[in-house]
Amino acid sequence: MMNRRQLLATMASTTLLATAREGFAQGAPTFRIAALNPITGSGAAYGAGMQKMILAAVEEVNAAGGAGGRKIEVVAEDTQSQPQAGVLAAKKLIEIDKVQGLIGIWSSGVALATIPLANDANILFMCTSGAPEITNPQVNSKGLVYRFNTTGDGYGRAFAEACAREGFKRPATMAFNNASGIGIVDGFRKAWEKNGGKVVEAVVYEPNQPSYRSELQKVLAAKPDVIVTGSYLPDTTIILREWFQTGDTQKWMLPGQAANPDLIKAIGPEASEGLFVVNSISNEMSTAYAKFDAAYRKAMNQPGTSNIYAAMAWDMVIVLALAMEAAGPNANVAAINAKIREIANPPGKQVSSFAEGKEALKAGKVNYDGASSAVDFNQAGDVLPDFDLSVISKGVITRKNIIKI
Amino acid sequence: MTAYAELMIGGLMSGLVVGLAALAITLVFGIARFANAATGDTMTAGAYVALSVSGATGSVIVGGLVGALAGAAIGVVVYFLIFRKLAGRSSVANLLASIGVAFIIRAIVGVIFEHQQQVFQLPLVRPWRILDIRVQPSDLNLAIVAVLTLATVFLILYATPVGRRMRAVADDPGLARISGISPTRVMIALWALAGSVSAVAGVMYGIKTVVTPEMGWDMLLPAFAAAILGGIGHPVGAICAGILLGTIQEMATPFVGFTYKLAISFVVLLIVLLVRPSGLFGRNEGAR
Repeated sequence: MMNRRQLLATMASTTLLATAREGFAQGAPTFRIAALNPITGSGAAYGAGMQKMILAAVEEVNAAGGAGGRKIEVVAEDTQSQPQAGVLAAKKLIEIDKVQGLIGIWSSGVALATIPLANDANILFMCTSGAPEITNPQVNSKGLVYRFNTTGDGYGRAFAEACAREGFKRPATMAFNNASGIGIVDGFRKAWEKNGGKVVEAVVYEPNQPSYRSELQKVLAAKPDVIVTGSYLPDTTIILREWFQTGDTQKWMLPGQAANPDLIKAIGPEASEGLFVVNSISNEMSTAYAKFDAAYRKAMNQPGTSNIYAAMAWDMVIVLALAMEAAGPNANVAAINAKIREIANPPGKQVSSFAEGKEALKAGKVNYDGASSAVDFNQAGDVLPDFDLSVISKGVITRKNIIKI
Repeated sequence: MTAYAELMIGGLMSGLVVGLAALAITLVFGIARFANAATGDTMTAGAYVALSVSGATGSVIVGGLVGALAGAAIGVVVYFLIFRKLAGRSSVANLLASIGVAFIIRAIVGVIFEHQQQVFQLPLVRPWRILDIRVQPSDLNLAIVAVLTLATVFLILYATPVGRRMRAVADDPGLARISGISPTRVMIALWALAGSVSAVAGVMYGIKTVVTPEMGWDMLLPAFAAAILGGIGHPVGAICAGILLGTIQEMATPFVGFTYKLAISFVVLLIVLLVRPSGLFGRNEGAR
C-alpha cells in the first residue's frame, strides 16, 4: 500500500518532471531524451528506480553546467513491460516529443520492438535487455544501440559456470517464451554442452497462465538435479509455489531479475531455502557506484544493490552526457554517437562522474568507469559485467562467490 | 496414467477460475446484452480488496467475502455511473465504455496498491498422495469455494424471485417490462451478482498465482473464449466451457508442448463454433 510519504514523493517527482520540461524548454538549448522504462508490468519492480536514477543523473549533469553547452531534458513514458505499449510510447516520444535518445528500455521484447523505430529516426538507444539479437548487425545496423547489461549468452555462460562449481550433473531448463528468457537458457545450453554436459529437459512456457503445473510436471519427470530458468518475478513466484507444493526437492538456479527480496516475501523462507541466484552485478567497488548508491537510497529508500538496472540507467545518462561533452556544442546524434566508445572505453583518464569527466576532457581522453560495470563497449555495443552466485538461506540472499567470464 | 490425472486436476483448477470469469461475462451479456471488458479488472480489484482485508484480519475467508462484496459494489457503482446511461445504446458503445471502465479500475488499483506483485500469505503445504496422484489441499479448498459460489449463483438465478425476474429480462426484455418487472432493480441485482462472481474469480486466481494490477485483464481473453464456447448468455455453459478448455489445454501438452497449449483451446473453440455456431449450450435463435 502506498503510504502518504510515498504518495507525496510521487507527486513531487511528477511535478518536478513537469517543471523540468517547462523550465528548460524556454531557456538555453536543450538535448531531449526519453526515459522509456517498465513502470508497470513484469518489470515494475525495477522501472520506477530506473526512471528516478535517470532523472537524478540528469540533475547531476545539468548541475555541472550541462553537457556540450546544453542541458538535458527528460520526457518519461511507461512501457508496461510490453512490446505493444512500448511501441506506442516510443512513437509518441519520437514523433511528438522529438527526443534524441531512448534510454532505459528493460525487456528484450520491448527493445526488439522499439529499436527499428529508433533506427528510423536515427536516435540513440540504450537498453538493459538480454536477448542476443539486440546487438547483432542486422538489428543494430546503424550502431546506435547500446546494451548496458550482459547478453543472454553471457548470462548462460555464467549459469553453466555456476552449475559446474556446484557440482550439478543433470540440469533441466525452463524459459519464459520471449527473447530474453530463451536467450538465457540457450546460452546456458551452448556453454554446458561445450563442456560435454547434457541438458535433460527443456521447457518453454507462456506468460500469464493460471498455473504452470503441467510445465513443472514435464521438467520434473526428467529427474533433474537442478532447474535453470530464464524467467521473471511473477512467473517464477507462481512456479516455485507450485513446485514446493509438488513435494519435489531438487535445486533451482534463477536469474537475478526473478530472484529478489520480493520473491522471498512471496514464497516464504521455507520454499526459498537453498535457491541459487546468478546475477550480473554492479561495479560495486567503483566510485561511480558509490555515487549511484547514495542517489538511489535517497530516491527509493533502498540500497542500490536491489536494482542493478537502475545503476545501468544511471550510467546511460552519464555516458551520453560525456559523449555530448566530448562532441562539443550543438553536436548532432551521429557526432555524439561517434564519441561514446571514446569516452567509455580505455585508453584515457579513468573518471567516475560527469563533473569529473567534463573537467578531464579539457585535458584529453577519458575512460568512464561506471556504476553498473566498467562500461567498456565491444564492437557490437555490449558490455561484459561480472556475475555473482548467491544462495538464499533463511530468507536472506547471500553471495557465495563472484563469477568472471 | 498418474501424469494424466495430475494434468487433469491442474486443468480443472485453471478451468474453474476461467469458468467463473466467463460466468460473470455471460451473466452481463445475457441481460445487458454486451461483452463486459471490465470483468477482468473487477477480478483484480476484488483480489486486492481480499488481499488487504485478509492481511488485516488474518483470515482469507473474511478477505474473500469482503472482496466479493467489494466486487458487487463496483458492479453496482459502474452500472449507475455508466451503463444505466448507456442502456439502449448499441452493444459496441457499451463494450467500448466497459474497456474504459477497465482502464479506470486498473489505474485506481495501481495508484492505491502500487505495481509490485503481492501474494496471499498462505502456508505452502506439501501434497497428499492419493493412488500416487498428487492432490494439493489448497486446490481442494479452491474447488469448494468455486462450487459454493456456483451453488449460490444458481440458487439466486433459479430459486429466488429476483433470479426469476433476471431470467425473464434475459429471455425477453419487452415482455418482462409489460409484465411489471422493474428493469433497474433487475439490473442492480445483475451487476451486484456479476461483480461478486468476478471478485471471487479474482481472489481464486490471486491465491493460485500472484496479485498484480494486470492479472484480471490478462484473464479476459480465455474468459471470453469460454463464455462464447459455452453459448453466450448461458451460465451453465460458461462454467462447463471453462473447465473443458482448461482440461483440454493441459491434457494436450504432452502432445503439442506448452507454447501451443493456448492455441489448442482456440482450435477447440473454432471447431465447436463451426459445428454449433451458438456454442455448446446456446439456443439457436439467430442473432442474440
